[in-house]
Amino acid sequence: MSNTESETQTETEASDSLITTDVETGSNGRSAPSNRTAVAARDLNVFYGDEQAIDDVTMEIPENRVTALIGPSGCGKSTFLRTINRMNDMIEVCRVEGDVEFGGKNVYDDDVDPVALRRKIGMVFQKPNPFPKSIRDNVAYGLKIQGFDGDVDERVEESLKGAALWDEVKDQLDSSGLDLSGGQQQRLCIARAIAPDPEVILMDEPTSALDPVAASKIEDLIDDLAEEYTVIIVTHNMQQAARISDRTAVFLTGGRLVEYDDTTKIFEDPEEQRVEDYITGKFG
Amino acid sequence: MATDTDTARIEGFGEVSRVRGIIFEYLSLGASVLGIFALAVLLVYVTIDAFDLAGTSPLWLLTYFVTLVVPFLAFCLYSARDREVTRRAVTVAGGGLVAVAAVFTAIETFVGQIPRLNWQLAYLFVVVAPLTGYLVYMGARGRPGAVGFGLVGRLIGGAAIGLAFSVLFLVFDERLWFLAYTLGIVPGLFAYAYGQLRNSSTAVTAALPVSLVGVVLAVFVRDVLRTYPTTTFIYLWTLAIPIAAAGALVVNARGSRTAALAAGGVPLALAAVVGLFGRAIGLGVGGPNALLVIALAGVPVAVYLHRVFDVGEGVTGLGLPVLLVGGALAGALVVETFGIPTPNSWVSGTFLTEAPSRNARDAGLYPAIVGSVIIIAMVAVLSFVLGVATSVFLEEYTADSGVVGALTRLLQINIANLAAVPSVVYGLLGLGLFANLLGFGFGTAVTVSLTLSLLILPITIISAQEAIRSVPDDLRRGSDAMGATRWQTTKNVVLPEAFPGILTGTILALGRAIGETAPLIMVGAATTVFSAPSSLFSKFSAMPMQIYAWANFPQAEFRYGVVAAGVITLLTILVGMNGTAILLRNRAERGS
Repeated sequence: MSNTESETQTETEASDSLITTDVETGSNGRSAPSNRTAVAARDLNVFYGDEQAIDDVTMEIPENRVTALIGPSGCGKSTFLRTINRMNDMIEVCRVEGDVEFGGKNVYDDDVDPVALRRKIGMVFQKPNPFPKSIRDNVAYGLKIQGFDGDVDERVEESLKGAALWDEVKDQLDSSGLDLSGGQQQRLCIARAIAPDPEVILMDEPTSALDPVAASKIEDLIDDLAEEYTVIIVTHNMQQAARISDRTAVFLTGGRLVEYDDTTKIFEDPEEQRVEDYITGKFG
Repeated sequence: MATDTDTARIEGFGEVSRVRGIIFEYLSLGASVLGIFALAVLLVYVTIDAFDLAGTSPLWLLTYFVTLVVPFLAFCLYSARDREVTRRAVTVAGGGLVAVAAVFTAIETFVGQIPRLNWQLAYLFVVVAPLTGYLVYMGARGRPGAVGFGLVGRLIGGAAIGLAFSVLFLVFDERLWFLAYTLGIVPGLFAYAYGQLRNSSTAVTAALPVSLVGVVLAVFVRDVLRTYPTTTFIYLWTLAIPIAAAGALVVNARGSRTAALAAGGVPLALAAVVGLFGRAIGLGVGGPNALLVIALAGVPVAVYLHRVFDVGEGVTGLGLPVLLVGGALAGALVVETFGIPTPNSWVSGTFLTEAPSRNARDAGLYPAIVGSVIIIAMVAVLSFVLGVATSVFLEEYTADSGVVGALTRLLQINIANLAAVPSVVYGLLGLGLFANLLGFGFGTAVTVSLTLSLLILPITIISAQEAIRSVPDDLRRGSDAMGATRWQTTKNVVLPEAFPGILTGTILALGRAIGETAPLIMVGAATTVFSAPSSLFSKFSAMPMQIYAWANFPQAEFRYGVVAAGVITLLTILVGMNGTAILLRNRAERGS
């Protein structure tokens, strides 16, 4: 699909109704949702001190699909994302109750090493954060820390191709990753995340710091990534969620999962009135 | 009508007073100018005393001005290749001459005698020195200038590092180093290289343990083994060959294999020949130290030459060392031929290589220089390692809240307070702890180094913490999310990024350590020793101690001449050390 076109189209219409836009939803050419589950949350509650950030969420995220988490600011969607690879452990006041299953195992079990877990789950952040190293070293970072024994250069090339960055940087692999433009940096971060071949890729608003053209490139890329990886993406951009995801989860204030269904269903005929109000921009 | 209202509106803006801002601006300007001026006057007089410039004949100054300074300035102008700069330089040099001469004569006539200064010297210090600085700056922007300064810098820097190494081997057992290198470092390096080449991570991981075992083994073998190669061979095998190999690898990475062989081989061969046979074939120089100096200066120069020829720009700049040496020789020749009296400089070859003496003319600083270099090397290593380790622990490993967090904060406050403790108190601590309790002896290098390390440790820790804190959290989270352990994140992301900042703090702290006298007096360092120390536990002196001792001598020659020469030497070594560290830091900043 031509992203640039739909981008302009939807942007002009963004102020009225989203539901009536002719954005194709869930149009990724992937057939019926896989019935295998990659990540599942069961009765998940997360607290920051006394404040509850996630309220009793239960959801199953299918394998090799793009799942979008949307909702107003402070609704706990980023927190939910970080519970999957236990990045919340870094926050001292954070407390997690309930289960998050990944590969059939609760990641909060005592015998799970969060470092080992994160090696199976890649993550891309809101702000591009390449290391101040060469492009090659950035992509090879995961391989290096995991003691990868194979051909590093080959894997670097594969990952950069996978992140649709190879053609732009193949002649400057030794120059600093910080010399790239914002959009390129974010794709470099994606290449870095996929280099160790994780099973799931978490994306926390990966395009919110980018210009529309760069953002649309990343969106195309996410589309391709779902062929091989399970992608879970947090976004504030409703059109983006509609365009790229197969499944959409709507979180509303208080960290409650209000509705979780196929993207087409959520954007065309949501069950809940509040969800409709949110995606049409009536509140949130 | 419209214009009327417009003017009315503009008049209505009124004015905002900026008086206080302007007063503040000029007060700060005045304060900094005053400070710099006072420092400049001090340095000028120290320089005049140290080189005995006051008694120098103007002809001598003129000779070297013409043979050395003018060609150098011309080189800078040639490199800058800027008509405007040339015009400005000529105007300043010419106009400055007239102005300085006129003002100087006027002051001498109407105000009074200016001590130990004549108008020629005033011209040198007021006009030529700043002009040279400006032209060096402008010249370094052009290719030939950059190349020339790069070459001269590598020559001097390499030689200085070579000399520093030879000084360190006065107290460190080179035979133990030989064994440790052969049994530990070489096998470790081979394991590492093999692992890299064959993609075997076992070999890479094994490299460090292999080295450590080898080093420990070396300590035992040292007591057993009786025969050793000569010092020259040890330096050749343990220092010159690896440096040459590293140089060859650098050149090889840029392309040519033959050039790599030449860049490593030629300086190595030269160093080996001069080192082993220099005295025998009548060169006048030779022995282990010559080998070190030639290898350490030669290899960087060879690598640099290859790059310059490879790039092909500014090749003419390579003539700068020839220009300088030629200028100095020509000056010497003229002075010799016409019998111009040479100044009796206090800073001289003998001053740097002789022991102190009762006679001012024979006095030398050599044992104190050696002492200072050894102390600084040990302080640098100790405070850097301890400082970085402590700051990494405090910043990366401790929790922010709870009991641990409270303890961390307490520790933090105490470190900040320690930075403000007077150095005499640290001297007392060193005396009690290291000299008495641990029995490292009074005024030995170990005691002095440990005391000075403690003294600057708080400064190192605080600045390293600052540097580590300034590494963006984004990078840490990025690394954590890749499945890096905390140690991997610290080693691969945080430390490389914080390194320039850490280095800056350490440089500043070392600058303080090198000039300290009070703690040295407290721990019983000698003011004067007559031979260079031969072990870490022999009696030591340091440059500030020796200078302090001379300043109390009754003879005026000591108080004016020798002290000034000592100060100049101390400052030169300090500036050289800081300069090298700053260059390294800038490279690290650009390179990473």
